[in-house]
Formats: sequence, structure tokens, C-alpha cells
Amino acid sequence: MSGRAVFVHDEALEAYGFGGDHPFNPLRVRMTIELCESLGLMEGHRFVSPEPATDEDLTTVHSLSYVRSVQKAGRDEAPLSELLDYGIGTQDNPIFPQMHEACAHVVGAVIGACRLVVGGEAEHALCVSGGLHHALRSKASGFCVYNDAGAAIARLKEEHPGIRVAYVDTDAHHGDGVQWMFYDDPDVLTFSMHESGRYLFPGTGGVEEKGRDGGTGYSLNVPLQPFTQDPSFIECFEETLPEALRRFRPDLILSQNGCDAHALDPLTHLSATTRVYEHVPRRVHELAHELCEGRWVAIGGGGYDIWRVVPRAWAALWAAVSHQEMPETMPGSWIAKWGGQSPVALPNLTRDAAADYPPIGRAAQIEERNRRTVAELKRKVLPLIEEGPRP
Amino acid sequence: MLLVRDSMVREVVTVSPETTAAEALKLCWERGIRHLPVLEGGKMVGLISDRDLRLATPALGDPNRAAALEKIRVGDEMSRGITTADPEDPIEQAAMAMHEKKIGCLPVVEGDDLVGILTASDVMAALVRLVGAHEPGSRLEVQIPDRPGSLAEVAGIVRDQGVNIVSVLSAPSEGNGVAHSVAVIRLATINPSGVVRSLQEAGFPVLWPPTAPDGPGL
Repeated sequence: MSGRAVFVHDEALEAYGFGGDHPFNPLRVRMTIELCESLGLMEGHRFVSPEPATDEDLTTVHSLSYVRSVQKAGRDEAPLSELLDYGIGTQDNPIFPQMHEACAHVVGAVIGACRLVVGGEAEHALCVSGGLHHALRSKASGFCVYNDAGAAIARLKEEHPGIRVAYVDTDAHHGDGVQWMFYDDPDVLTFSMHESGRYLFPGTGGVEEKGRDGGTGYSLNVPLQPFTQDPSFIECFEETLPEALRRFRPDLILSQNGCDAHALDPLTHLSATTRVYEHVPRRVHELAHELCEGRWVAIGGGGYDIWRVVPRAWAALWAAVSHQEMPETMPGSWIAKWGGQSPVALPNLTRDAAADYPPIGRAAQIEERNRRTVAELKRKVLPLIEEGPRP
Repeated sequence: MLLVRDSMVREVVTVSPETTAAEALKLCWERGIRHLPVLEGGKMVGLISDRDLRLATPALGDPNRAAALEKIRVGDEMSRGITTADPEDPIEQAAMAMHEKKIGCLPVVEGDDLVGILTASDVMAALVRLVGAHEPGSRLEVQIPDRPGSLAEVAGIVRDQGVNIVSVLSAPSEGNGVAHSVAVIRLATINPSGVVRSLQEAGFPVLWPPTAPDGPGL
């Protein structure tokens, strides 16, 4: 079984980044890859190199004028004033050379990962460079230029008419781009658990955003209170996702594994630890085996403590994808290599110690508020999902 | 963008004083509306709501209901002397009239002609546009002194960080006995930390988002 998990990666994907001291730093992908290797998690596994996405792939979910603008931006052929209308050239999404090529490669990687799994060549696949869930049809947003998950789902729908895809997003930010792309589509269930939009970008993702027309009931949102800790995070996840997926009966689960809900993340106010980043993929894995013969593609997402959080969270993700146990100790060679560059001390263990993250004073209130959110979703939206076909 | 004419509904469903309660209620139900202006000879003479009609007729299940619905005429139950709006009125003035008089809609008239209708949900839609809630952004609340130039200084700090403002609202705030305003700013960025830091360094308290688990606002 373990031989059937593939890690889709190529150094070319590490070109997706905005340079300088921009928070989205591709070094996190390099550190993740090397941590997986140093932990021995790549033994018996290989990296599969992906093809870049074509213009046809991209225009399944993006406008051609937007794609042309990204192409021109990367070749320095368009004035800034024109690009700003497309969200390009802002502080969040600065222009970088060959940006179209870098972004299209990420999209191609996720499309390729999905094809491997749906085509039966792999049971599970991981691409940590994917997960750019904020990109909109004609606009770059929140560090995301092209929407890899959106394009992959749209392509699968063309290639396999009738396919049912469950998109599961546990990034701290609402998965708005993917949600809007399939807002009226009952064959694509989007589930996003995130910090409430009252506090955090992009501001959307309330329970009442439940889909439109035929897709009503197929957009699920669990907005969490700021400073939510592991027990409440996991409780909310367990109370909603398994039931939603069991009703929907997907043919494929595509999970976005942004790890910016971690307490150390500088951009959000959630307070999760590595416990969440082991729990979530292991449960998604189990549900994939229970519901869709294991067909599961995992992608990355946000994560801005690139030193202490992202490599450990995503190495744990790969361990779950590839049916391996996560070792306990961080490899000395890896710490030696990256410790010198890191502005903070690197952890010696792969898991956070619970004692370092004691319950905060308001934990009970936060839990109670999150429980009310979950109850509302279960009352108003989950029953709208029509029970899918049984195998 | 923020005048009554930009938010009103132009195709108004109307009735006449002779319309029966049954017909009027059916119209409300079919069109999903609650207010019907009443016209006579092209001129507005009153307004009837589904609530007026329900109060005037026997309850559902009452054997006399059907007969009463056919008998009662809109002219018997409508309100007269209706508060109206002008298409060129600012939306906030219309909102204030609806709020103060506790009414759910304003017919919009130009001279003697009924040209539209503005309901509470149209005002709500304008509010959503006004605060830019449909655009991706991060929400900040900043306390600023109630003095000329304060908002400009805040905007300058945002500009210096290279961040676009999606929307801005500013209103006088009470409390602490010190006159100040609170500005609610929606920024087109996933990462407002640079703006927050610069605002704090310049002496503007950032009230939202909360930064500590036990801080104010939670």
C-alpha cells in the first residue's frame, strides 16, 4: 500500500514566491522536502515531476484576459496601473519575473496529482506547493495568483463527467476562491474551517454562505473564534466533516492543509498546535478509505512560521499520506543546516509539547461559541446535502 | 452610488383601491414582497402592506376567511399620508426616515409620478456595498482624535505601506469623556500587520482585531 502514495514535486515549483521579506516564502517547501528526507520518510518513495498547466487548464476557472495579464506581468510588458485591476503588483501579490510560468507549474502539479489518483496510478498524492485557495476568476488575492485546486477540480469534471469531489480546507483563512468557483455546483462539496471573517482576511466564510441554486447546501463553513485551541478545533472538525462527507459520498477528497492556524503563526489569531496537523490528515485519510476507495489528494496552503511550524506540519502530512509513523525527534542534520539561517530556535521534537500550550483563560467561552457555530451548521446546512450514491 | 435612485427598485408592483384583499395578498406572496403602493388615476393615494391585510382578515383556518378576503378592498385598509422619498435623496436620509418613523419602505416619487420603491432590504444592500463586505479584505478599527486631518494621517500611513483601502467609515464615538472617532477600515490585504504596527507607532490605538486572547473586543 505504502508504495502507492506519491509526492508530486519538482524544484521548479519552488519558484513560486514573491521574494524579499514577503511572508509567502518558498523556502518552507525546500525545508519540508529536506525534513521528509532527513526523517527517512522518503525511503521507498519517489518524487513525481509535474507538467505545467496549459492556458486551457487555467481558463477552466480564470478569464483569458487575467491569464494574459499575469503572463505580461512576468515579462514586464504591462503597466502597473493595468495590472492593479487584476490584483497584481500589490503589496500582497507583487510582480516577480516569470510569474506565470511559476504559478502555472503549481496548477499543473495539482492537476497531475489528481489525475494520478483518479486514474488509479496512485492511491494518495501530496503536493505541498498547491493550496492557493484565494485566487479568484480574474484577480490575484492573498498571495494566490492561480487557483490550483479550482482548476484541478474543473479539469476532473471535464474528464470524468459526473465525478463528485469533496474539497476540505483547514487553512486559517476562508477558502473563498474555491468556494465561489463551485458555489452553485452540487457535485463539488466545499468545506472550510477557518478563523472567523470578523477577525481575519478575507472576511467571508460565515455559516450562512451555504451555496446557491442547485448547489445550496454544498458550501460548508465553520468559522472559529480567534484563539481557538486544539480541543475545540478538533471537536468542531469531528462534529461536522465526517457527517458531511458520509452524506455527500465523494469520489475524491482534495484537502487543503494550510498550517497557519498554529499558535506561532504571525498572520492569524488561532492557537492550534501540531496535534491538529496530525489529526486532520489522519482523519481525512480514514474517511477517504471509508468513502472513496482511498482516493485522496493533499495540497499545502498558508503557513507563515516557516521555521518552526510549516516543515513539521507538512512532514506529518506526508507521513499520513504515505501510511508512515511520524518519528519523534527532529534530525540533527536538518537542524544544523537550517538553524543558522533561522531567526528563532528550531524545535528538537516533531510534536509540540501540550505543556507549552496550556488552555487560555477564555477557553471555555471560546469552545461554547464554536459549539453554537457547529450546531447552526448542523441544523441549517448539513441536512441540505442530498445523500450521495452508495458504492 | 449612495442616492436613493441607486438602490431603489424601479419596477413597482401596485394595486388600486378596488383590488380585493385576496388579490393583493396573492401578489405579495407570488412576488415575494410586503408593500404595495395604491394608485388611483396614476396617482399614489396610499400604501398597503401584507401585515395590514393579515390583520384585517380572519386567521388561516377560520371558515369566514375566504369570503372576507374577497369582500375586503385595499382602499378600506390602506394607510394614507405616506412618507415618500425623492430619487435624489441621499440614502442615509431615507434610512433615517425609515428608522425614526419605524416604517419598512418608502415609495419614491418624482412630482406626481411613482418611480420606485425603497425597502429596508434595499438599504441593507447599500450598507453591504458601502462597507465593501463583498470584497476580500481585513477589517481594522482605529481610534482617531476628533480633529481635522486625523483621518488623512491614518490614510497616509496606509498608503505608505502600499495597501489599498476597500472601504472606510468613520463615526464619533462615546466614552472616556474624550472626543474621538472610530474609523472602520477594510484593507485589501491578507497581511495588515505592517499597517497595524505603523498606526500604533504613530499613536493611533488599533481596537480591532484583538491581539491578545484576553484583550478587549472579545
